[in-house]
Amino acid sequence: MPAVMAGPRTALAVRGLSKTYAGHLALDSLFLQIRTGEVHALLGGNGSGKSTTIKILAGVVAADTGGEIVLGESDAVGVHDWTPAKAHAAGLRFVHQQPAVFPELSIAENLAFGAGFPRGAGGRVDWRALNARTAELLDRYEIHASPKTPLAALRAADRCRVAIVRALQDRDDADSGVLVLDEPTAALPAAEVEHLLDALRGYAEAGQTILYVSHRLDEVLSVADRVTVLRDGRKVDTVEAQGLREADLIEMIVGRPIERAFPSAPPETTGDAAMTIRGLRGGPLHGVDLTLRKGEVLGIAGLLGSGRSELLRMLFGAHPIDGGSVTLDGNDYAPASPQGAMKAGVAYVPEDRQAEALLCGESVRHNLTAGQEASYFRKLLYRHRLERSDAQRSIGDFLIRVVSDTQPVETLSGGNQQKVVMARWLRRRPKVLLLDEPTQGVDVGARAEIYQLIRRATEQGTSVILVVSEPEELAHASDRVAVLRGGRITTVVERPIDAHKLTELMNTPQVTGSEASQ
Amino acid sequence: MTTRSRPRPDEAVADLPTPRTTDDPVVVTKAPDTSVDVRHPQRSVAALGNRVLRQYSLVFLLVASFVLYSTWSKTSSVFLTGDSLRVMAAGQAVIGVLTLGILVTMVAGNFDLSVGNIAGLSYVMTATLYAKHGWGLWAGVVAGILIGGFVGGINGVLVTVLRVDPFIITLGTASAILGFIDWYTKDQSIVNGIPDGIRNFGKDNFFGVPDIVWVLAIVAIVIYYLLEHTPYGRNLHAIGSNRAAARLVGIRVERSIATAFVINGLFAGLAGVLMLARAGSMTPTIPPTLALTALAGAFLGAASFKVGRLNVPGTIVALLFLAVNITGLQYAGVANWINEMFTGLSLIFAIALAAVLSKERTVKKTRKTA
Repeated sequence: MPAVMAGPRTALAVRGLSKTYAGHLALDSLFLQIRTGEVHALLGGNGSGKSTTIKILAGVVAADTGGEIVLGESDAVGVHDWTPAKAHAAGLRFVHQQPAVFPELSIAENLAFGAGFPRGAGGRVDWRALNARTAELLDRYEIHASPKTPLAALRAADRCRVAIVRALQDRDDADSGVLVLDEPTAALPAAEVEHLLDALRGYAEAGQTILYVSHRLDEVLSVADRVTVLRDGRKVDTVEAQGLREADLIEMIVGRPIERAFPSAPPETTGDAAMTIRGLRGGPLHGVDLTLRKGEVLGIAGLLGSGRSELLRMLFGAHPIDGGSVTLDGNDYAPASPQGAMKAGVAYVPEDRQAEALLCGESVRHNLTAGQEASYFRKLLYRHRLERSDAQRSIGDFLIRVVSDTQPVETLSGGNQQKVVMARWLRRRPKVLLLDEPTQGVDVGARAEIYQLIRRATEQGTSVILVVSEPEELAHASDRVAVLRGGRITTVVERPIDAHKLTELMNTPQVTGSEASQ
Repeated sequence: MTTRSRPRPDEAVADLPTPRTTDDPVVVTKAPDTSVDVRHPQRSVAALGNRVLRQYSLVFLLVASFVLYSTWSKTSSVFLTGDSLRVMAAGQAVIGVLTLGILVTMVAGNFDLSVGNIAGLSYVMTATLYAKHGWGLWAGVVAGILIGGFVGGINGVLVTVLRVDPFIITLGTASAILGFIDWYTKDQSIVNGIPDGIRNFGKDNFFGVPDIVWVLAIVAIVIYYLLEHTPYGRNLHAIGSNRAAARLVGIRVERSIATAFVINGLFAGLAGVLMLARAGSMTPTIPPTLALTALAGAFLGAASFKVGRLNVPGTIVALLFLAVNITGLQYAGVANWINEMFTGLSLIFAIALAAVLSKERTVKKTRKTA
């Protein structure tokens, strides 16, 4: 991390920023000072005011009158005068969570949508000039690709970097202005995150000032120089990142001292096998051996592409199996379809909630019932009342916060949506629950509740296989962690589980015998 | 991601689930979250009024057009008479059955542009079976319906096996059917040999309402029951909402969609039989706009009652709205071209409205993020 230079100049200051939405303060007199050349993280749970701040800075949301924005040496501008054009002229550049890039088009074309196409005679596009300019930019930002490469061919982190370059390309000097990144890693797989963070550190060292908005604590600690934490629209504090621990940040975000964000494991599992997997092959898996004990949470640690998601999908009958055997409660288990897996008592929460789990446009009630409608159909009548009372009970049991069970599911927050998906399966008391990144896009508080739900299920006899990218979270939430690498389980780590050890193991091709057990 | 609205004094906390009990084994240190996710705070009268206006806007428009044609000097003398209303309602029966049938495929996110021609096929084949092959009354009716189901099955298999856009597939089958009709009828009409039972059914009334309108009412009830009150209908809604998610909750997606096409075809076949009943004879020209009118009705119907969701009551109102206006304008002396013009414009209007509504939704969503 670059040391903050002596006598730091201020790249961006906001003073007394407030925003009232429908009578309540979303942002309450925020003061923020960002030094030139630093990576400044803006942290906070959902609804803390992060996004409001960013939108005001971008000029797309009008703040309440009274605040000021100051960029570098220029004069303070009242927020009521702030517009997207002024933000751009002042050197603020934004890259949003899901940057609007075009995967089918080349890097050069993607960049041209920001800066315009250079024109030749007769108004035609001057491809040579465009490619030369793009090559120079790629070189400057150390992206190793040809300008003509389609964006889809790049790794995820590099696609994000192209979006950053697009935002920055029309400026010549790197140390003016501020690059604002709004949850840039939210859509990235874990392995890509580090690659992007490396790049950001490089840009910061070259003098780029970065305002980094995130709720991923480990990222913030690894990339930021200073951290500002918001809670309920107010600034809690701005602190140096050096020497901070995640626990300190969670305490600031949540507002109360944290003892344990993750429920502790019950000390003994019965040791009976709920599921045994022998020599499972298919897709990226080349023979997985694994035993899931009754009532345990078995974590799977693996890099992106290690086959962790495919493993879960195979066990749910949603991915073809090439060979190997699986038993469930001692019986042979070879699901050919999700229907078969469900009948055997296996449940699956996929990684991509929006694309594969939620029925958007449908109510919370219908989302809870999804796939189980037949159980409410008796004597040619659909028992709506029974379905409603079941839904209301689940809403209570699974800590889902809604106005009513008829509310469309897409109006819930990420955490509550995930609880709906979890409840859909947990209410059936599955024997085995397969969870793929159950806390993605979920804030700290809801995350703790989701782990509470998982732990409660295991107490009732459900066994869980858990895939989580963040080693820290995986270590906390699992009773044991199996490391998946090169299509095989290389080792199984028992408690106490050390996150750094997991990271190491995930990245180590060979594991020496002593650590492999079970 | 949505925002967590801060607890306000007026926020009802009582109706929230208790986050956890004290003897819970888990120590969670987050302050009790008293927030709820609210999109429409439906508290104020204005908001309620707004919602009613939206849900029932098409009903208001229907009533308004009805009043207009009943009082307008150009139309009042003929519009509000029993005969005129009966003719208007009977005229909607065929298109109504088609529209309700197409709902079944549309709810699951599919289209069927061939329904009009399926009805046409059933129409010409049933007439031929009666006149040239001497089939009995009921045998002909059943055959007409099954012919529709058969072609629907072909559509369904093609759509689910080839996984091609149903739009393209059904456009193809629509054209193929038309060719088949030409070859099959050799462009000859059938005037004699249609059983009296069928012909009378197309003309007679039952309690003052045309028989075929009763059929429409029964079809509406059946489709409503199927879509809203059976597991199958709910599965179709789930598939239409998110196909991948439906698959992962154990719904047999392909089978359900293929079945939807069969059901859609059966109702199109029934519509064909009703066409024959109304006409009393067979002329091998199939109105080219049947499928499009059905689409317009379904889309327009999604703009009322359950806004944004295809639904049976909305579809019925939409059909009546189209019928009242087309009939009214024809009585007012506008030429026949108004029929197609009005249907086409209504389709465009309905789709534009759907686009605006969904846009409004996204705007609200982004605004909520704080």
